Amino acid sequence: MQREKQRRGVLDVLKVRDLGIVYALILLVVVLSVVSAATGRPNYLGGDNVANILDQASLVGILVVFMTIVLVSGNFDLSVGSIGALSAAISLSVIDERGVVVAIVLAIAAAAVAGLINGLIVQVVGINAFIVTLGTMTALRGVVLILTDGRTITAESSSSRTALQSIESGFWTVNFPVILGLLALIGAGAALAAGHRGRRLALLGGGGAVLAIAGFVGDMGFRYAKPVWYMAAITLVAWAVLRFTVVGRRLYATGANAEAARLSGINVARYKIVPFVLTGAAAGVVGVLYGAKLGATNPTALNGLELTVIAAAILGGTSLFGGSGSVITSVIGALFLFTIANGFNVLNLGANYQDLIEGVVLIVAAGVYTVANRRRAQAPPPDEEAPPRPAASSEPQRVGVLRG
Amino acid sequence: MPSGEQQHVALLSMRDVRKVYPSGTVALSGVDLRVGAGEVVGLVGANGAGKSTLIKVLSGAIAASDGAIEWEGQPQSWSSPADAQAAGVATVYQHIPLAHTLSVLENVFLGRTGWRRTTAALERELDQLLERIGYRIDAHAPVEELSIGQRQMVAILQGIAQGAKLLVLDEPTASLARGEREVVFEAVRRLSASGTAVLYVSHFLDEILDLTDRVTVLRDGRVVADEVTAELSEDALVHTIVGRELLRVEQREIDLPPADAPLLLEVEDLRSGDRLQGVSLQLRAGEIVGVAGLLGSGRSELLHAIFGADPNASGTVRIDGRTLPRSPRAAVAAGVALVPEDRGRQGLFADFEIWRNASIADLPSLSRGRALPDVELERERARDAIGALKIKAPGPDALVGELSGGNAQKVVFAKWLYSGARVFLLDEPTAGIDIGAKADIVELVRDLARRGAAVLVADSEFSELLAVSHRVMVLRRGQVVAERVSGETSDHELVSLASGLEKEMQRAA
Repeated sequence: MQREKQRRGVLDVLKVRDLGIVYALILLVVVLSVVSAATGRPNYLGGDNVANILDQASLVGILVVFMTIVLVSGNFDLSVGSIGALSAAISLSVIDERGVVVAIVLAIAAAAVAGLINGLIVQVVGINAFIVTLGTMTALRGVVLILTDGRTITAESSSSRTALQSIESGFWTVNFPVILGLLALIGAGAALAAGHRGRRLALLGGGGAVLAIAGFVGDMGFRYAKPVWYMAAITLVAWAVLRFTVVGRRLYATGANAEAARLSGINVARYKIVPFVLTGAAAGVVGVLYGAKLGATNPTALNGLELTVIAAAILGGTSLFGGSGSVITSVIGALFLFTIANGFNVLNLGANYQDLIEGVVLIVAAGVYTVANRRRAQAPPPDEEAPPRPAASSEPQRVGVLRG
Repeated sequence: MPSGEQQHVALLSMRDVRKVYPSGTVALSGVDLRVGAGEVVGLVGANGAGKSTLIKVLSGAIAASDGAIEWEGQPQSWSSPADAQAAGVATVYQHIPLAHTLSVLENVFLGRTGWRRTTAALERELDQLLERIGYRIDAHAPVEELSIGQRQMVAILQGIAQGAKLLVLDEPTASLARGEREVVFEAVRRLSASGTAVLYVSHFLDEILDLTDRVTVLRDGRVVADEVTAELSEDALVHTIVGRELLRVEQREIDLPPADAPLLLEVEDLRSGDRLQGVSLQLRAGEIVGVAGLLGSGRSELLHAIFGADPNASGTVRIDGRTLPRSPRAAVAAGVALVPEDRGRQGLFADFEIWRNASIADLPSLSRGRALPDVELERERARDAIGALKIKAPGPDALVGELSGGNAQKVVFAKWLYSGARVFLLDEPTAGIDIGAKADIVELVRDLARRGAAVLVADSEFSELLAVSHRVMVLRRGQVVAERVSGETSDHELVSLASGLEKEMQRAA
């Protein structure tokens, strides 16, 4: 980024608007580590604890990626918890008779259809997304109740259980530094081939090489539960799509100003509906993983999940008004929430205070973003009776207070 | 029509009122305005003449920088709309601010303070008001279910319910159908007969001549005429509004397109509700055609309908002889560009940088494999645009929301300039833009035509329209009422045609 120098305050220099949650997470981890060390507990940043936090955050993490996409498109989805519960119920009630593949496909398809219904009602009928998804949240929870008849559903056959365990339980060890290093090397090579030169490129290539070698020599494998890797992969792909593709750019444009996007030739309906479908499908995946983890599900499964997911997205700096947000920071927002919960656990603090703290943190975060945004945003230029400016002024024009 | 008594009672008298905005813009440079009790005074003037500012000063919405306002002989310094209302000035703006979910009755008496209000008493009062203006409406209908014309009447009722002695109507008929306009006229006549003065602001000169006792003409923040309507000819009125110096618009050299230039845009029988009533037109490559129309004439609707952005429109649009499907997407793909009037709401992404705004309509061609946008190319294009269009901005990373009107408008142009668009639909491209940027944009439009584009420009400033276009079509109430070659007409004639005076002229002839 070669953003021209503007007047910069502390908030601007630190890019609080973009990276605030990263600082918050670092600060939180430092505090927890210090407190944990001072009170003679095991290393807070020890591998097991980190693996724990990531595992606990993984389902919310997957959902927050898609929630962010919906929010960027200018909409809102409250129904993810109910869709997940529906998916879990479907997969577990079908799996014994039809096998795991049919169960999963059916569950995720049903979830995607639920998302499609959300999207169509919001976009085609034109009802506010908050209301629509509040409705489907309630209605789908009702469907789950009907489907389960209010009882817990369990996968009975041992083959089902084995199959479910194979997707959810267990760990994968991934030598992350090696992969990252190799990716950096490949990227640097590609850029070099495309004719790019420069210090940043050398840094990228060099860093990549060092990382790959260190990772390989030091055997720096990361051993995390499978859902953690699912989350990581989904986040990476979604980030890349949003950041680097035409599709991503149009999504942001649609959320930022749907009318301007429409008049720029963008198929706004598509960019409003597809995020709902994806979110529905993702909730389906999460439902399947949830069911697989426990081998059972009950009618109140994943209740209230949607609020955690939305809170994570807000912590990550995603705007509720569309057009801005990042899946990476949203996922970090989820990690932040689960780190707080984990900290209360590890330090054995009164769990009673946890909700209070989380609520306060959410509002403080939103406040920081709002202030940072306000500093950035200027009064919009006048649209009528625009005062003619001195044409000779070569200074960048900035609109001050205008009466109109 | 009551007349003649304006000399003795001056209800409102403004003397040498000036308004300078903090930015240094002089909106009013010494305006005198007199309104007598029960008098209907027409306030006319071209866009930017200062009418809106004058109304705002008079209704207390903004404070005058200098000058004296006397109300019923007493000096006043209203500092808020509430002060002016309490004194008896009711203003009905073009965009009517009513509480949409409340009923007519509740809206009419919205300003009423005090605790106790019995519906029956209010109903009786409303009946009296309705009687007074000769109108009928269901007192319990929610305002959101009313037509625009009915809302206008509710706003007027609201004004007189507060005991207004002076009712200010800002373009009250601009978006009304014929029948609804008659209702407004009737109300104005009756109010005036019962002693309420009316300041009637309108672009429609036939209405002004019909309704008013006296006409005050503003031009460039000054009163250039204040005459008894009966002594005024249409001709003189138009002359006064336009001003002599404007008639001598710098004679331009527009390279006329060759007569055999291919037809680029053909529009046949475009209709949309009662806003567009069967418009047909043809543009050749290299041609600039102006659409002259006043507020509510359907000029924006026409451009939006051509662009496929109006789902209710019917009719045929052909580009290069091929029929265009009705969607903005298809239009963009076919090389049609729309620069909308409300650029903030419809043309720009205020939170995006210049480069993301400039590339959005043509993203695939700036992308690797048409899928991965190349930010460097996008920046490059934004830098080109900043240079070529003289956009005053710190660089391609500047947020568009922080630019001034003219520079923001140039970004909207940039969005289309490099996208290979060949048909440009420009809706008030220079509205709210300072003089320097205006000249740049006019030059830009000419350049587009020189490069073989077809340009359709809608503008309410006719002198500008004449300066830029080869020929001009006059639109009124959704229909093309005349077409003129730019060199063979004047903005005088265009104003007459667009404001509905030409029929009077024919009658007179």
